[in-house]
Amino acid sequence: MSLLKTKLNRRKFLAYSGGTLAAGAMASKFSTIKAVASEHSSRSNSSESKNVPSACAICVNMCSLFADVKDGVIHKLNPNHNFFKSRSMLCARGNAGAKVPYDPDRLKKPLIRAGERGEGKWKEVSWEEAYDYIVKNVMKLIDKYDNRSSIAFASTEGLQEEFFRHLTSIVGSTNSVRHPTLCLASNIQGYSSVFGTFPDADIANAKFVVMAGSNRAEAFITPDTIDLAKNHKEQTFVYLDPRATKSTALADKWFPIKPGTDMAVVLAMINIIISENLYDKEFVDKYTHGFKELANHVKQYTPEWAAKESEVPASEIKWMARKFAENAPASVWYPGRRSSFTANDVYYRRACGILNAVVGAWDRKGGLIPKSGISLKSHEFIFPLYDRVKNRIDGGKVDFAGEVLPEYIKSNKGMPKDKVAYLSESDGSWVLFRDAILKQKPYPVKGMFIYKQNPVESIPNRAKTIEMLKSMEFTCAIDIQMSDAAWYADVVLPESTYLERWDPAHNYGGAAPIVLFRKQAIKPLFDTKPMKDITVDLAERFLKEDDFWTDAWEEDKGYLQEYVDTFKNNSMEKIIEHQVSGHPGAFKMLMEKGCFYETDKIPYGQTLKEGARLKTKSGKIELASVRYPEAGLHALPVYQKPSEAPEGKYRFVVGRHAQFTQANTQNVPYLLEAYGHYENMLWIHPKSALKQGLNDGDYAIVKSSVGEQKVKVHVTEYTRPDTVFYLHGFGRLSKWLSNIYKVGASDAEILEDYAETISGNALLHETFVEIKKA
Amino acid sequence: MSENSRALKLAEANQKLANKRKGAKEKWGIVLDTSKCIDCKACTVACKMENYVPVGFYNYRIWVAEDTHYAKYPTVNRSFQPSQCQQCENPPCVHVCPTHASYKTADGVIMVDADKCILCKYCMTACPYDARYESHTTEAIDKCTFCYQRREEGKDPACVETCPPKVRVFGDLNDPNSEASRLLAENEYTVLKPEKGTRPKLKYIK
Repeated sequence: MSLLKTKLNRRKFLAYSGGTLAAGAMASKFSTIKAVASEHSSRSNSSESKNVPSACAICVNMCSLFADVKDGVIHKLNPNHNFFKSRSMLCARGNAGAKVPYDPDRLKKPLIRAGERGEGKWKEVSWEEAYDYIVKNVMKLIDKYDNRSSIAFASTEGLQEEFFRHLTSIVGSTNSVRHPTLCLASNIQGYSSVFGTFPDADIANAKFVVMAGSNRAEAFITPDTIDLAKNHKEQTFVYLDPRATKSTALADKWFPIKPGTDMAVVLAMINIIISENLYDKEFVDKYTHGFKELANHVKQYTPEWAAKESEVPASEIKWMARKFAENAPASVWYPGRRSSFTANDVYYRRACGILNAVVGAWDRKGGLIPKSGISLKSHEFIFPLYDRVKNRIDGGKVDFAGEVLPEYIKSNKGMPKDKVAYLSESDGSWVLFRDAILKQKPYPVKGMFIYKQNPVESIPNRAKTIEMLKSMEFTCAIDIQMSDAAWYADVVLPESTYLERWDPAHNYGGAAPIVLFRKQAIKPLFDTKPMKDITVDLAERFLKEDDFWTDAWEEDKGYLQEYVDTFKNNSMEKIIEHQVSGHPGAFKMLMEKGCFYETDKIPYGQTLKEGARLKTKSGKIELASVRYPEAGLHALPVYQKPSEAPEGKYRFVVGRHAQFTQANTQNVPYLLEAYGHYENMLWIHPKSALKQGLNDGDYAIVKSSVGEQKVKVHVTEYTRPDTVFYLHGFGRLSKWLSNIYKVGASDAEILEDYAETISGNALLHETFVEIKKA
Repeated sequence: MSENSRALKLAEANQKLANKRKGAKEKWGIVLDTSKCIDCKACTVACKMENYVPVGFYNYRIWVAEDTHYAKYPTVNRSFQPSQCQQCENPPCVHVCPTHASYKTADGVIMVDADKCILCKYCMTACPYDARYESHTTEAIDKCTFCYQRREEGKDPACVETCPPKVRVFGDLNDPNSEASRLLAENEYTVLKPEKGTRPKLKYIK
């Protein structure tokens, strides 16, 4: 804890005991926002006040909100109380969103690189010039490599992402790559292998919740966070994490588990539940497949063995197992997000799903609940079919796939070495994808469009990502701020922020689904466009280029013309009206209440009805997988001992924080201040700090096999002595992220770039580091 | 209009509103269940947005504190305490103000009239809760007003409205049917520094 924070906290806590300190004066580092805000308002003529329905765009939860707009300026974003999914809240990041359009660091004009890559010399250009540049380069690449897939498309979620994906189809590339393999791909794969789908957890009604690693009260403010906090007096909440994060504040018990061993605890719990006959026999007989094999398989995993592996006491594992069964079906081993822990992650998540299944905590009140959705109509587009297209670079057989695995798991027979077993065709596997580009296997990929994502900061091994970007002959980044990836691009297109645009309706699937959308709260402040306009503009350009169509039919050109016409002739409001036209009254409700839903009640038991089938191969809950052995994988979750820290090294774990869950808000002054520091810090246990000769407030060099970073030391009792941590998203390379440029340390820089080959997920807890005083 | 002028405009509007509400019968207060607090800072950021409080560690109307004193791995108990001006019924800040800039509205909210404030900071010294700061935007001592601008619309203060687990419940302590009064009737609660005799209207459920 920095001196400043300690002082502030102590000062405040004195309120209980008496005595005050005089407030110190500290000049604010940030004052430019005012200037931008005033510049804008001088241009605005309106003097009215209005509340505009929109939705937050700072994270995937997209909480519905009303923008309070006064005199044409966004005054405040308030939570939409009709939007039951967000439980009437807007988090710190959501609130700080009010300043996003006025951020002095935001992109205001299209830019073309004027110096070396990464040098930061830019020329402001018109949209026409930027489009000319893009079209010329796209045509050049397709021609040179005789392959549309020589251009990759990287993106992350958002209500305009679909237009970026349309652009991918218009250009005709198969190489799209998205964020899931840096986040929850293994989780989705693991749970889906059991239930055929990735479920929600009914935390609002659960009585017994185990959360392992997923730090939901601190990392990410979601409905589950809120339900945990609201119910914490009635609910038993067990928290397993090498760090005592803020989630510990809600926990009944915290176990500082040894990283990478969570699966041992789960398997031992399943063993106890079966051997002590605590499982739901009727449920298991009726709805599951492979119980006998499972029962035999888990016999080897005793609580005493698991205790040695995980350092969670055997008595506690037994207690957890019994309580889990006793409270079923209102028991949950929490599915979480950002599940990219260790190489065995898919099997671990499978085990978590199985634990829930054997006690019957599936599709029943308080258990795991399959998501459902509200169907929206879409405009049916046919995109051109081209000849010069090749299969994606990380799909099918990949000779070097085994190289991304950590050494210790290479002998594991249930881990493919020549492919990613269940690669998502739209998402790809980022680590493998980048390697394929650098190796130019099976063919060169020399162009890249990047929308909203920041691969430089989000993929492990930052130097390698920069090498990849530098190997490109053409890169176009589309963002609202100069991300580090944009910093290395050739052309940067400024997108309008979410408060400056209309966005299509979106079905937010879940245990109880809901539809949201965005209405424009203010007109764009600068020369920016929404992704939709960028795609339509580029499509029009491509239509005019005869050389673009040499490998397509004339009718394909017609399809693209139809696409362009649809968006040119219809306002987004009209498109939204069409989207929800299958639901009477939905459009009116959307415009007035900011969201649309039929019920806020969870429809329990849909998958347990007579005749219902799950989307697994057997149609049942698969305790033993039917598909997996066919792909050369283990049918049952086999424990894999994680690697041990080499002498003198520490395991580096990553983590998230409510102010900075992803990498896009670290530059926001209000959030840095809410976080309490202007830089991130290395969490290290006092004993380890002593061993390394470090004091609180010192600077240390943290070094892995791929990179090193200098970081401030925070000596704390809140972590295991063998584990160190610092927060994601600091120590940035883009000078236009002026508050965090080279401030603090980047985790992407030191993380070693491993992945597992079942879902293709990156592994963020397989890095060991040396630490010495700077 | 700059953020500074907005802040000034808001301060002036609140003075007028306080005048208009001279006959108000309510006694506003906040009941907090801090055990639900996860230190997510939604409240502090919302407060800054709503009230044009500029960035800077020492510009704040509300805060979240943490007791960090008693952790010894692996025994760790984390707990957070969100707070703000206690809107005392017996407010020392008002008593010491030499210009009557600090005053209490009819509905019991402590406010500062920026026009009258001479920045002598007696009130900052007198406040046992350290709930005031020197504002460079209004050039006066600034503090929590329970988002007084929201009183006419009947909306909760920004911190109350935005809070994910709803740690704070705002309401009329004179109205036995308000949720705040009901919580006080049903739970044991405490106030901060009762020995100071300030009679805070922020009540902490035990």
